[in-house]
Amino acid sequence: MNGDWRTRLGEALAGPYRTVPVVLALGAMWLIFNSINSAFLGSANLHALAQQVVPVGMLALGIVFVLLVGEIDLSSAALSAVAATIAARLLVESGQPLLVAVAAAIVFAISITFLESLLVIYGVPSLIVTLGGMIMLQGGLLIALPSSFQVSLGGTSLAEFAGTNLSSDACMIAIAVAAAALLAGRLAVAVRQARGGEGDRRALLAAARGATPVVLGAAALLVAVAVVGRGGGIPLSTATFFVLLLVAWYLTTQTRYGTHLYAVGGSRAAAKRSGVPVSRIVIYSFLILGFCAAIAGLADASRTLGVSAASGGGSLILDAIAAAVVGGTSLFGGRGSVWSAALGALVIGSINSGVQLLGLSVEIQDLATGGVLVLAVTIDLVISRGSIRPSRGRLARA
Amino acid sequence: MGEPAMVEVVGAEKHYGGLRALSGVDLRIDPGEVLALVGDNGAGKSTLLKLMSGAERFDGGGLRVAGRDVVFHGPRDAAGYGIHTVYQDLSLCENLDTVQNLFLGQELVSSPLLGHRVDRRAMEEVARRVLGELAVKIQSLKAPVGWLSGGQRQGIAIARALVTDPSLILLDEPTAALGVEQKTEVYNLIFRLRERGCGVLIISHDLRDVQHLADRVAVLRLGRKVTEFEKSQSYDVDDLVSAITGAKEAIV
Repeated sequence: MNGDWRTRLGEALAGPYRTVPVVLALGAMWLIFNSINSAFLGSANLHALAQQVVPVGMLALGIVFVLLVGEIDLSSAALSAVAATIAARLLVESGQPLLVAVAAAIVFAISITFLESLLVIYGVPSLIVTLGGMIMLQGGLLIALPSSFQVSLGGTSLAEFAGTNLSSDACMIAIAVAAAALLAGRLAVAVRQARGGEGDRRALLAAARGATPVVLGAAALLVAVAVVGRGGGIPLSTATFFVLLLVAWYLTTQTRYGTHLYAVGGSRAAAKRSGVPVSRIVIYSFLILGFCAAIAGLADASRTLGVSAASGGGSLILDAIAAAVVGGTSLFGGRGSVWSAALGALVIGSINSGVQLLGLSVEIQDLATGGVLVLAVTIDLVISRGSIRPSRGRLARA
Repeated sequence: MGEPAMVEVVGAEKHYGGLRALSGVDLRIDPGEVLALVGDNGAGKSTLLKLMSGAERFDGGGLRVAGRDVVFHGPRDAAGYGIHTVYQDLSLCENLDTVQNLFLGQELVSSPLLGHRVDRRAMEEVARRVLGELAVKIQSLKAPVGWLSGGQRQGIAIARALVTDPSLILLDEPTAALGVEQKTEVYNLIFRLRERGCGVLIISHDLRDVQHLADRVAVLRLGRKVTEFEKSQSYDVDDLVSAITGAKEAIV
């Protein structure tokens, strides 16, 4: 190990322990809120929180993909509202089946982000493309809505989505089985390696170390399911979000596409010289963003039982960007993970929930969310330098 | 002329608008040979490298690999003929780890069915072998290369070329930004490439480097090859300088 403790701390934070401070901060925040109002960590509030984080978390997930290639998105919240409106009108006014409505929302959202991505790879800054896109989509929402500027989804199949809960026992069994399967797979590989004679015991030890995140993650999930489940089961929307997170985790960490995604965010020139299809990877990120925006819009419409001129507005887009960054995805591209979407959404959601439960004014909520965002970006900057010392140059960005 | 050269440049011509960057340059590299390319700024070294790496096209003349004429439309084509380029900026992704960088754009995938799942274990095995051959020491293959030293990064950039078992490696200013100790590391890398039977073309401004490393030195001036020095011919840095600046020609 080289360098002083500050360098080492910097490297630890940039590496495997990136999420530790966020988790600690989240825990501290929960304890503080709970000490003021013990309903905060009650199962009813946690159940509501689990549902509230889904729209922000889904948007943040899409934004993570865009941030990883070094771009930004401002339009997805407005896009989610327009997509949800299309689905809602198809359901309510045209009486189309849920599947058709959902498919239409997804196709619309993906088409829009595809157009945006074409401009981005042509060279227009994504900040401008998606800022313009956001403004256009906000206008588009008013056009898409009927003259009453709202569609009520009460009693429709889409509304049932948010009202449905899975049995927490079933969820726990699913988690336990999945974790066991994963561990068994790792163990089998380690045993084969050990038999192959290469560093016998060391291979097993490495496997044990590699299994730690699986064990810890599964344990945390089981506790979460047990606590949230007491409020009437696990919300279907939350479970869906989690499954999509798993898919996104697989794509980003286990596939060739995932390596290319991070490579493009790290250095476009180097990626291009190595034969990575840079433009295609950027387009993929925007397509995934479109899909996530559609799901976010549908989840939000389902939860609030309708769409209106206020859908996708307010601070939703900033909450989603803040969630991605607070969770540990870099604004500078190439660093971060899909879990940051969930973790960050939980932080932002907890602030909102706590502020409401404590009867504080909305201004406090804005102050807290904004402060957390600035803090998170500062931490990101420190990490990108590789040390908490102010100037070090080694990883300094141009 | 005996056997055809492993790689041969024949009568290379390149101009940019009215500027003649290269005219009638011939060059030959054989297996296990280190050829240094020296010359002043604008002498045409980088242009020649770009032609050989497939980054740019010949305006006249061409390239022969093992006696056959070849035309490259891009660096991928060059790689197909076993010619790999290590750029001066190394072209590494600092946020990716060593294994990911070694295999970037040429990942080993276990099966296309699971969304081209990368075979991390197989890649790590090859990475260990290649890094071991070059004696590049890296504490953790999982650490982002941005955390590694300049010498280690140079090692990774060269090792990346070795992943596909190339016949010729083009090195653009490999020691330009390095300290003394790291330079020695890179010298050793180049000697190990030669031991493998790999041809090495190196561009360098450091004439002591060149004298130390090269089996043969080709001197470019104003787009023409003015002379070549063999290692056996005992020449010194002054001879190189006078060839580069043209002082020698004036005397002769």
